[in-house]
Amino acid sequence: MDILNQFGINPLLLAAQVVNFFILLFILKRFLYKPVLKVLEERKKKIEDSLKNAEEIERKLQETNEKIDRMMVKTADEIQKMHDEAKKDRDVLKEEGKAEAQQLALQIIKKGEEQAKAEREKMQEELMSHMAEFVVAGMEKVIGKVLNEKAQREIVEKGIKNLS
Amino acid sequence: MEHGIVLKPEILGYFKSLPITNTLLVSWMAMAVLTIVSIIATWRVKIIPSGLQNFAEAVIDWGYSTVEGLSGKKTKVFFPLVMTFFLFILTVNWMGLLPGFGTITYKGEPLFRSVNSDLNMTLGLALLSAFLTHFFAVKYLGIKNYLLKWVALNPIFLFVGILEIISEFTKIVSLSFRLFGNIFAGEVVLSTVSGIFAFVVPLPFYFLEIIVGFVQAAVFAMLTLVFMILLSEKHEAH
Repeated sequence: MDILNQFGINPLLLAAQVVNFFILLFILKRFLYKPVLKVLEERKKKIEDSLKNAEEIERKLQETNEKIDRMMVKTADEIQKMHDEAKKDRDVLKEEGKAEAQQLALQIIKKGEEQAKAEREKMQEELMSHMAEFVVAGMEKVIGKVLNEKAQREIVEKGIKNLS
Repeated sequence: MEHGIVLKPEILGYFKSLPITNTLLVSWMAMAVLTIVSIIATWRVKIIPSGLQNFAEAVIDWGYSTVEGLSGKKTKVFFPLVMTFFLFILTVNWMGLLPGFGTITYKGEPLFRSVNSDLNMTLGLALLSAFLTHFFAVKYLGIKNYLLKWVALNPIFLFVGILEIISEFTKIVSLSFRLFGNIFAGEVVLSTVSGIFAFVVPLPFYFLEIIVGFVQAAVFAMLTLVFMILLSEKHEAH
């Protein structure tokens, strides 16, 4: 055991070192390993939870977005429909107005025509009666005497016939 | 630098019959440093880390995942031991590089000396590592299975068992002398180079020693871990 002596081996020092190690082991376990490993574990759990939550949120967001999209499409459809209807209504109204106006115009024209016709007939009648008078007067002058009523009329009528 | 190349640690004084060597003093200092740092780092543990807590978490997480990758279910038991080996050896190795080591003297002896340049310290750690390894083997296998690892009726396996017992002793020797040799050699190199020219020239060797300090700490811790795992695993039936 000369070699051990040469290295200065002392059982007490060996023991001291072993004791040192155990003291250090205890201290580090208490103050370093335990709290640090605990907090590492805690953080790991927290991160896992957060990731899970984030996934959930993402999913919900997507759902909401889809819902909004669907609603927007629906609304757009409705607006389009309303617009179409409004256009149709307007066209119908336009057509109706046109037809009415046409009818009105036709009515006015017809009325005008009727009026004109009536006037003309009236004028003709008047003219006729005047002419009869003229004929009677002329006959009186020519014949010189007044025929009886019957003859008179016959003559007048004949005259008119000839005239016309 | 006349103290640079001495195998024995210098004795500063005696506490009753316990010799207080400069390496023992430094190992206490290293313990104090580790204690203070860990208390500060975990003073108010916050879920959102900052500063020293961040650093401690990074180190612990790295260590834990490394141990977990190798030992699986036994991580909870092995991790504190392996990590303590690693942190302690790393701290004393790097502390040994600080200025003042070997140069500040007390009663004619250097006050500080790199802990692992004293075989007492490395042998203490190696013995402890071996003891813990066998302790866990007994714990996980039961005393019967544990003994069956070494003794067998088959003469060939009996011989193998004897070889294995010898290898257990060589493990202790290799663990302790590897650490001691590396750090002691580093000390010698540093003091020699500093003796030749004290400015700038030793710098590359300091970088080298920083790496060596880390590597040796990692090697010691990893070997301890591997031995523990191997020995506490169920023996395959032959």
